[in-house]
Amino acid sequence: MKDKLTPRNIILCVVICSLPWFLFGIDEISSLLKQYKISFGWPGGDYVLRIIVRACLYMLLAIGLNIVCGFTGLLDLGYVVFYLIGGYTAGILMALLGVHYWIALPLAMAHASAWGLLRGIPTLRLTGDYFAIVTFGFAELFVRIVKNEDWLTGGDPNGLLLGIPAPRIPFTEFSFNDNWHNYYHIIILLALVIFVTYRLQNSRVGRAWVAIREDEQAAESMGINVGRYKSLAFAVSAAIGGIGGAFIAQFQSTISASLFEFWESIFILCMVVLGGMGSIRGAMLGAVILGSLGEILRLALNNYPKFAGSRYLIFGLILVLLMRFRPSGLMYRKK
Amino acid sequence: MWAQLFEQLINGLVQGGIYALIAVGYTMVYGIIQLINFAHGEIYMFGAYFGLILITVFHIPFWFALPLAMVLCALLGMLIDYVAYRPLRNAPRLSALITAIGISLALQNIARIIWSARPKNYPPDELPSLFVSGISMTGEVINAIPLPGGGTLPYRDVFILLIAVVLMILLNLLIYYTRIGKAMRACAQNATAANLMGINANRVIIATFAIGSALGAVAGVMVGLSENVTPNMGYYKGVAAFAAAVLGGIGSVTGAIVGGLLIGIAEAFGADLHSGYRIAFAYIIMILVILIRPTGLFGKATSKRA
Repeated sequence: MKDKLTPRNIILCVVICSLPWFLFGIDEISSLLKQYKISFGWPGGDYVLRIIVRACLYMLLAIGLNIVCGFTGLLDLGYVVFYLIGGYTAGILMALLGVHYWIALPLAMAHASAWGLLRGIPTLRLTGDYFAIVTFGFAELFVRIVKNEDWLTGGDPNGLLLGIPAPRIPFTEFSFNDNWHNYYHIIILLALVIFVTYRLQNSRVGRAWVAIREDEQAAESMGINVGRYKSLAFAVSAAIGGIGGAFIAQFQSTISASLFEFWESIFILCMVVLGGMGSIRGAMLGAVILGSLGEILRLALNNYPKFAGSRYLIFGLILVLLMRFRPSGLMYRKK
Repeated sequence: MWAQLFEQLINGLVQGGIYALIAVGYTMVYGIIQLINFAHGEIYMFGAYFGLILITVFHIPFWFALPLAMVLCALLGMLIDYVAYRPLRNAPRLSALITAIGISLALQNIARIIWSARPKNYPPDELPSLFVSGISMTGEVINAIPLPGGGTLPYRDVFILLIAVVLMILLNLLIYYTRIGKAMRACAQNATAANLMGINANRVIIATFAIGSALGAVAGVMVGLSENVTPNMGYYKGVAAFAAAVLGGIGSVTGAIVGGLLIGIAEAFGADLHSGYRIAFAYIIMILVILIRPTGLFGKATSKRA
């Protein structure tokens, strides 16, 4: 796909930006119908809007993970660690030190990115399983640190960090405390990330990444500096995770270690695999499907408390069935 | 001081015996099909639940419930291989790894649906009285060996260590002195060549899964004797056991045993320093081994395995 400002893309942008107004409309219709004793189980526009914001956040994370998993072909089982670092960096800066969100966001990004490099450099020569295991162990270590070092995270046990303020536009009283504001906020962040990753994918860098994925030795012999390009992939991917973390910190206003457990990594990986590794559109599609499927299942399973926790069972089965019948994902980027 | 250290060492050895039992399952499967069987931790968890169900629901005596749980877990392991891994034998390794994660996720949640997330115990009155240790009303130590320094070593822990040692010896005999063991070693060295020599690789692989899973079941029942049984127990112990397999050199059975004992001891002493980081020691050891010496303590230096 060419990333040009074609009419099609402009229309797409307009549709995405006006999507919440439709929700608002359905809300109105729903309350109107209720007067005539007709209800169609609409859970409410505000709730749905939150789901959409969350799905957009997952899109962002899936795009970030796709850079390491899809472009360079290394299985990252601990992507959530950058989400965690971003979240806690922004959270601690904002809630405990009173730093402005617009300063905390780039700091969170830079911090996550730095850890991406730190994790990446010793693992450069690892491939396949061993890389996956190191990333997994690395992420678990960070969860342990956040759970135990409560002097760092404000004193509450389990890394609970409360009272992260909503971001305010400088020199005004306008702050992002509405779901609408958050919607536009994440849409803008997402648009920036998509733009940057598309530009990277269609550049020398992106081609080098794909070359590394296809055959590392051949890439090296063609003069590609494998170590440098892999490190770049780690840093960019981690930075995107950091953005996601900073966003979730201000969106939820509280974060805790349980947000960043191992299964969250698998959840995001599931999205990338479902969409098709190596495709940005695929990652986004996977994130929309799984991100909203989780919420729909939660709503649908509410009546069956025994099965309330079985969302992950379905994710597991999706992974197994996909690998069996369509290992290249729903949307595979043809070579 | 020394008495306390000695007690930690004993605790570590008992834990380590359990890790060794689980780690053998990881390492054997990896040795033959180069797959990190993430679902192995879940098989161990199912072993604990099978034992629990057999004892509490069917009122089968412990000594029969243990082998029965082993058989059930062996069947489960074979089923997983047949359904999930066999179709992917020639697929990229990444697909098999993702499948393993999916199976692990699915099994964990199936357990959560069937048995709920509430921690369960093996009921003491259904167990042989040998395993029920404690201190009686009169201050007398029951079913435990008193240690110097006031600690006690329950018979239960002695039994766990003993059964781990016996099973490891049996496993080594199986691998080095039987036909199927020979076939396993051949497949681990070179699966294609073994196939050409008339060894049915699929049968060897399924036997590997069965043996590894049965040992995992033993570990599950042993842990059930002293700890709570929960659906996510396989996740924590599974990772530590995997760290043990990596430490010993993945693919090497001896390595898994030694690695298991070392990880168990490291964890026991680590927990003494800071209990919150108990599991973190296993992760740190695992990462350091992979970075510094990827072949582990006993692993053979192989050509690059992507």
